[in-house]
Amino acid sequence: MSQNISTPVPTITLVGPPNSGKTTLLNLLSGANFKTVNYPGSTIEYNTTKLHRRFHINANLLDSPGIISIIPNSPDEEVTVNSLYKHPKFGVPNIVIATVDASQLSRHLLLVKQLLNSNFTVIVAVTMIDILEKKGYEFCAKDLEKKLNCDVVKIDGRNGKGIGKLIRKINRILEIQKEEGIKIPRKVSEKKCEENILAQYEEIEKIEKEILHKTVSDKNLKNANANLIVLNQNKPDTFTVKLDKILLHKYWGLIIFFGMMGLVFTSIFWLALPVMQLVDEAFASLANIATDTLGYTWYGNLIANGAINSVGSVFVFVPQILILFLILGFLEDTGYLARGAMLIDKPLSKIGLNGRSFVPMLSGFACAIPAMLAARTISNRKERFLTIFIIPLMSCSARLPVYALLIAFLIPQNQAWVGGIVLSLIYLFGIISSVIITAIINKFSSKVIGQKDNSSFILELPSYKIPKFGTVAKNTYTSTKQYITKAGPIIVTFSLILWMLTYFPNTNPKIDKTNLSETEFHEAQQMERISTSYAAELGKFIQPAMTPLGMDWRIGVSLISAFVAREVFVSSLALIFKVTGNEETIRSSILNAMRQAKIEGTNQKLFTPATILGLIIFFVFAMQCLSTIAVSRKETGSWRIPLLQILIFSGIAYIATFITVNGLRLLGVA
Amino acid sequence: MKTAAELHSGESAIIQSVDPHHPSFRRIIEIGFTPGQEIELINKTIFNDPLAFALRGTMIAIRKDEAKSIKVL
Repeated sequence: MSQNISTPVPTITLVGPPNSGKTTLLNLLSGANFKTVNYPGSTIEYNTTKLHRRFHINANLLDSPGIISIIPNSPDEEVTVNSLYKHPKFGVPNIVIATVDASQLSRHLLLVKQLLNSNFTVIVAVTMIDILEKKGYEFCAKDLEKKLNCDVVKIDGRNGKGIGKLIRKINRILEIQKEEGIKIPRKVSEKKCEENILAQYEEIEKIEKEILHKTVSDKNLKNANANLIVLNQNKPDTFTVKLDKILLHKYWGLIIFFGMMGLVFTSIFWLALPVMQLVDEAFASLANIATDTLGYTWYGNLIANGAINSVGSVFVFVPQILILFLILGFLEDTGYLARGAMLIDKPLSKIGLNGRSFVPMLSGFACAIPAMLAARTISNRKERFLTIFIIPLMSCSARLPVYALLIAFLIPQNQAWVGGIVLSLIYLFGIISSVIITAIINKFSSKVIGQKDNSSFILELPSYKIPKFGTVAKNTYTSTKQYITKAGPIIVTFSLILWMLTYFPNTNPKIDKTNLSETEFHEAQQMERISTSYAAELGKFIQPAMTPLGMDWRIGVSLISAFVAREVFVSSLALIFKVTGNEETIRSSILNAMRQAKIEGTNQKLFTPATILGLIIFFVFAMQCLSTIAVSRKETGSWRIPLLQILIFSGIAYIATFITVNGLRLLGVA
Repeated sequence: MKTAAELHSGESAIIQSVDPHHPSFRRIIEIGFTPGQEIELINKTIFNDPLAFALRGTMIAIRKDEAKSIKVL
C-alpha cells in the first residue's frame, strides 16, 4: 500500500473580476498539463493546470471565467458559479484565490466579501499595487487581513514578487485542512445575496477608508495633493481620461474607430491571403504526390481528393484565425476594444445586437469561421448567438470568385467598371438585407435562438496599458488549437461524405482513349464520373425544385458541391460543362459553355440575365459552407442554430431567387 | 431630482438611489453604482448612448436607459 487514496489531490480555484490580473497570476502559478476545457454540457471555457513543480505542492489549479459577483446574471455565469461551489470533476475547492486590483479595491472586494460570506476558504491576491501608488496611495496587507479576516498577499505581476508568500499561505492552509478537513461552502440564496450587496459595499468603503494611506514622497506629491480634499481615489487614471478625450471623441472617436477596424479587416483579408495560398499549394502538392504514388485508383483519389483536400480545408482558415486573434488580443489587452464596442453599441442595439458584435460581423466579410470564433468576446449569450446566427449573411471572400464569374457573364468585357458597380451593389444589397433579417430574427429571438437574455450594456473601460505579448499569444494559440481539434473533425467528415457523393458509383467510367493525352483522359474521366455520380443523381432528384428557378440539375449539382466551400461552385460548373484549360483560359471557356448551355430536354437557354441575377441573389443568402456549419455547431454547443441557419437562409435564398427570376421574366427580361 | 443620464460631460454628482425595478438593477449596483458614490460623466458617444462614467477609480460605460434608473444629486 504505497498510495493513500483517501487524500485526493487538493484543488485551488482562481476567481476574480475581469481586468483584475487573474490571467497574469495564472501564468505565474501554472505548470504542467495546461488545458482549456469546457464545463460539461456548455460552451464556457476555462483553464485547468497543475501548480508549477517548483512550488513543491501537488495541487490542481483551476481558472474560472471573470465574474464581478457570485450571483449569476446569465446562464453562462450560472454554470461558472455552480462549478465554483462544486466542480463537476474536481469537487469542492480547498482554496479560492481571489484576485483584486489594488486601485479598484472598492469594486473588486465585493466578490471577496461574497465568497467569505459563502464560507469559502479565500486568499486575496492584490495586484497592480504600482497603479495604486501612482495615484498616491498605499496600504498594508496585514491591515486588510484583519479587516477581512482572511489571508491577503500582494502580488507584483511584472516580476512575480509575492508569489513565495502566496505559496507559504497555501501550504499552511492545506496543512490545517489535513487535520480539520475542508470548509464546505454554502449557497446563500440569490435574493439574500442581492439584499446584501449595498451593505457589503458600505463595509468595503469603510475598510478602504481605514486601510488606505497617502504616500507623500516627492514623486507622488503632486498626485497626492490633487486628491487631498476627500479620501477619494475615485478618479480614473489621468492618462486614460486624456487619451479618451480623443479616442471617445464625438467625431474623432468614430473616425479613428473605423480607421482601426479598416486596418483589422485589411489584415485578415490581404495579410492572410499569401499564407492561405501557401497552405493551399502545400496541400495541393501533397495531393499530387499522393496521386503520383497511388495512381488514378479509387483509393488514390480518396487520399488525394478526399482526405488531403478535406484536411487542407481545415488548415486553410488557420492563417486568418491566427491574424484576427492576434490583432484582437492586442486591441483587447490595451483596453481599446471595450471603447470600440461602446462607440458602435447604439445602432447595433436597435437590431438586438451589442457593440461587441461589430468586430465579428466585420470579420465575416473576410470569412465566417474566424468571425464566429471572435464572437466569444460577447458576454450576453442571446446577443452572442444572434451575432453567430447572422454572420453567414456577411458577404465572405469565398463568394467573390462566384460573383466575378456571374458578373462577367452579364457585363460586356469592354465595360469592366460596370462590373465594379454591380459588385458594390451586391455588397450593399447584402448588408441591407442582413440588417432587416437580423431585426426580424431578433423579434423572434426566444423562438429562433432559443435564448432569452435581458439586453444590457454595462462594460468596464479599463485603463489603457501596454499589451502583454505572452498572454495574447497564448490565447491565440488555444483558440486556433480548439478550432482545429473541435471543428476540424466535423469539417473533415462532411468533406469526405461530399467527396463520396461526387466520386461514386461510376468510379471508372469508360472513355474513348484515342487522340487523348494521359491528363486529358483523366480529366475526361473526372467529368464523366461527376455527371454520373450520386451528387448528379441528387441534383436530378432536386430538379423539380430547380425548374421554378429556370435552372436544371447541373446547376443543382454545382450548388451541392458548393457546400465544400462556395468558390467550388466555379470549378464544379467547369467539370459539369466539361470545360478544360489552364487557369487563364478556363474562365472564358466556362463563360462560353454557359452561353451555349440549354436547359436539358428543351431549346431554352439555361443561363440568361434573369437566371444569372437569380444565382447572385441565391449566393447572397444561402448557407452553403460546411466549415461554417461545423464552427456554428461548435460555438453554440448544439445543432439547433446551424440547422436553423441552413433552413432559414437557404429558404430565403430559394424564395428570393424564385421572385428575382420570375419577376424579371414578367418584366420582359429573359 | 435628475438622473445620471441628464449629466453633462465633466459634471459630477452623488448617487441618491437606483431604481430597483429596472431589469438590470442588480448588474448596475454590482458594478458599483451604489448610493453615496460620486460619479462623473466622462464621455458621450456621437449617439449620446452609451455613457462613460468615472466610478470607484475606473470608467464604466452603461446604456442611457440604465443611466436613467440612477437618481443623482
